[in-house]
Amino acid sequence: MTTPTPTNIKLFHQPRDVMRMTVNDEYSFVQVEPRWAAPLSHTKSFLGLMNSKGEEVFLLPSLDELGPENREVIDLELSRRYLTSTVHKILSAKVEFGATYWTVVTERGERDFVVQSLQENAQWMGERHLLLVDIDANRFEIPDLDLLDPKSRHFIDSIL
Amino acid sequence: MKSQPISPEESEPNSTGALIRLVADLLENGDYGQRVLEVDAENVRVLELNGALSATVPMAEIHNARNEPVVGGGRLEITTKTGEKLALISYTHTIAARFSEAARGIEQLSKGEELLISLKPQRTHCEKCKRLLPEIDGVCPACVDRGKTLWRIAQFMVPYKVWAFTLAGLAFLTTTLNLLPPIIQGKLIDEVMQKHKDVDLLYQMVGGWVIIAICASFVSITRDRIVARLAGHIAADLRSTVYRAIEFLQLTYFDKKQVGAITSRVTTDTDRVWNFLVEGIPYFLLNGLMLLGVSAFLFWTNWFLALCILAPIPIIIGIAIRFWRPMAQMFYKVGQKWARFYIHLNESLNGIRVVKAFANEDSEFAKFTKRNVELREAGVSADARWFTIFGGMIFLSSLGTIICWLVGGAMVVRRELTLGEFYRIHAYLALVYGPIQWFAAINNWFSRAMAGADRIFEVIDMEKESYRHDDGQKVDIVGEVTFENVRFGYDKSNPVLKDINFTAKPGEMIGLVGKSGAGKSTTINLIARFYEPDSGSIKIDGIDYREMELQSLRRQIGIVLQEPFLFNGTIAENIAYGKPGADMLEIIEAARAANAHNFIMMKPDGYDQMVGERGAKLSGGERQRVSIARAILHDPRILILDEATSSVDVETEKQIQEAIGRLVAGRTTFAIAHRLSTLRNADRLVVLERGKIVEVGTHEELMEKKGVFHGLVKTQSEIQEIIGFDLAQAEAVAKG
Repeated sequence: MTTPTPTNIKLFHQPRDVMRMTVNDEYSFVQVEPRWAAPLSHTKSFLGLMNSKGEEVFLLPSLDELGPENREVIDLELSRRYLTSTVHKILSAKVEFGATYWTVVTERGERDFVVQSLQENAQWMGERHLLLVDIDANRFEIPDLDLLDPKSRHFIDSIL
Repeated sequence: MKSQPISPEESEPNSTGALIRLVADLLENGDYGQRVLEVDAENVRVLELNGALSATVPMAEIHNARNEPVVGGGRLEITTKTGEKLALISYTHTIAARFSEAARGIEQLSKGEELLISLKPQRTHCEKCKRLLPEIDGVCPACVDRGKTLWRIAQFMVPYKVWAFTLAGLAFLTTTLNLLPPIIQGKLIDEVMQKHKDVDLLYQMVGGWVIIAICASFVSITRDRIVARLAGHIAADLRSTVYRAIEFLQLTYFDKKQVGAITSRVTTDTDRVWNFLVEGIPYFLLNGLMLLGVSAFLFWTNWFLALCILAPIPIIIGIAIRFWRPMAQMFYKVGQKWARFYIHLNESLNGIRVVKAFANEDSEFAKFTKRNVELREAGVSADARWFTIFGGMIFLSSLGTIICWLVGGAMVVRRELTLGEFYRIHAYLALVYGPIQWFAAINNWFSRAMAGADRIFEVIDMEKESYRHDDGQKVDIVGEVTFENVRFGYDKSNPVLKDINFTAKPGEMIGLVGKSGAGKSTTINLIARFYEPDSGSIKIDGIDYREMELQSLRRQIGIVLQEPFLFNGTIAENIAYGKPGADMLEIIEAARAANAHNFIMMKPDGYDQMVGERGAKLSGGERQRVSIARAILHDPRILILDEATSSVDVETEKQIQEAIGRLVAGRTTFAIAHRLSTLRNADRLVVLERGKIVEVGTHEELMEKKGVFHGLVKTQSEIQEIIGFDLAQAEAVAKG
């Protein structure tokens, strides 16, 4: 049985909204789900494809190794599974009454949210990599503070 | 488009005849935006906000519907009868629980059942100021009625009203006494030194001054003693009230909050409130009265000079108000850095053995240095700014003195003011400019106290366990436990148990089996009524246990946990925890039955041996046996054993198993077993998989069935060691 590789697998939806993976047209996994091994620190690499029992059937080293058709299918699945928003700009952030009130621009659009207890809910994933978790457990990621504009950085610097 | 959590009016059912209508907050492409889920008896539809229909699934074709939890939110998935899976609509965590409930509704409708779901509107925004609420359905801290909150916290002073009024009276007296010495000093200059040059008058006036100073000291000492007394009592009362309220909170509250956050309600928040009540209000009262009194005296002495020297005060207050918020934010940031610093320090010191074992001292020091530098920079920045602002305020304060000398001095030269009057005004200046710098902080002080009070009242007002439910029945339990269509999830959007149905007969031992996360611990949490089912019911002896008095119910349920928790006290106290007031003989008998007596007797202090915090001075097996003795003394009708023999050596396990054998006799017992070892004596096994019961039967029946349990046994490498016979033998036994 051929071992899966980034080039011999084929990903497609069949039936609708169920991702299927065939390997070298030899055999097929009827339902696979993508799971990042480290979604915050390795954003484009180490993607596990898990079968319906939750067992990994293939670990893709890098998304870039996939062909365009497979990539389109996997991107759609990933966009459905990972709803963490990436913050591009901070429009306002203030501490009031023990909570922090944020207005940010993300890749999904603009969003207001409240973070209680920054000590627990502002998680530093690296020196300049920040994850904010709001009161409803929605996640807002700032992959690199240095990529933010000076005003946005100032908001972070004045609070954290 | 700017997105905010859905407000209640958007998710209310509409007049289109839809049975369920919910607004999701994500578009199909994942952007923030709104789409509508509409469910009626015939169809499930997804509509775009402009009314365009995106998807329709006929109800007749639906096999099941569920909320699929994803990272940062969820999506509604429908499986059709042909096996097709449809990812219908995605949403953030904010509204995931509502869509989970909708999924349940869709399932009910697809099976032709009555729609029995609860879609209570969520309040995510303040109705008054439209600000996002820090907690769904919580209070808006900006709009909270401060008068009402103040009135509630003032109620804590009611038992001490005599002291409180005395304190207010003494504050007034202090102000008056502080105003007198400058008057005497002015008189001394004008009347004694310049006009009469009379030494006897000097003695009389100084004598009067001394009497005033003695009185002022006496009043001040009395006032401070009353403050200390009042502070101690009110702080203790507040802490007791909050602690008592926390004790009766539902466990869901403890799931959502970290212990540190709850502890801070008993410590920090209560501190803020009593501090404001006992120090803030008197400070404000005293200095407010002082300011009014001094201003009145100044204007009475010379209105023009008073106006000149008080001119910088509005500027000082303005600066204080302008800079207080950014300063507070900077100090908040320093607090954050301190917290980060502490976390690293605690971790590295607690894990010092691991650090050393991996020779990672250098990398830990590098991390420490980073935290330390961050803390230094934040501290330096905040302090530098603070001293700059404070310096400016000091300068403006000194302007008052300079103006006093400039204008007042000229008036003395022109004989428009006596030297005594000038001295008096000069003396009063310090009384005005001292406290004025801190007046701007009062608002912050007040806000923090009110925020602390709100958090305290939030806990006090929160829905409690119906511990002493007046309507609850006090029953003597026989021990039949029935699960009827039980469904439960810690997160309502993600049920952990679904459609659980089974009955345990009185005295029966039920083994709960399943992989990690199958729902075993949740089942025992429900039996102990730490949580209640979201739907369905649990009946004990045929009565829904929600109708029973909780205290009476829990007194008849005993629990032996995997990681037993012992309180810091003696072994005897910990055993007697199961039956307050138990005598020494009962404690010893319980310890004997738990195979604990011998090891206890070998301790230097025997039953008086202190067990340390969380029982840390005892070994795992010893802690376990003390907890079994505690359960034996408790003498429950229903017993819960949560993998009581993990992490102990073979000999200890044997002793614990013997003890458990004595403990379970005659009681309805639910035993969780990851290692299957506690199932040796189980009458029946309930096998759970992904929150559902997949098999029920005796060990032999399930082995013969060769289903899930058989698979679990097969994969368990320790089977021979634990159960005492291998798979082949087990199968042989099953075949009889």
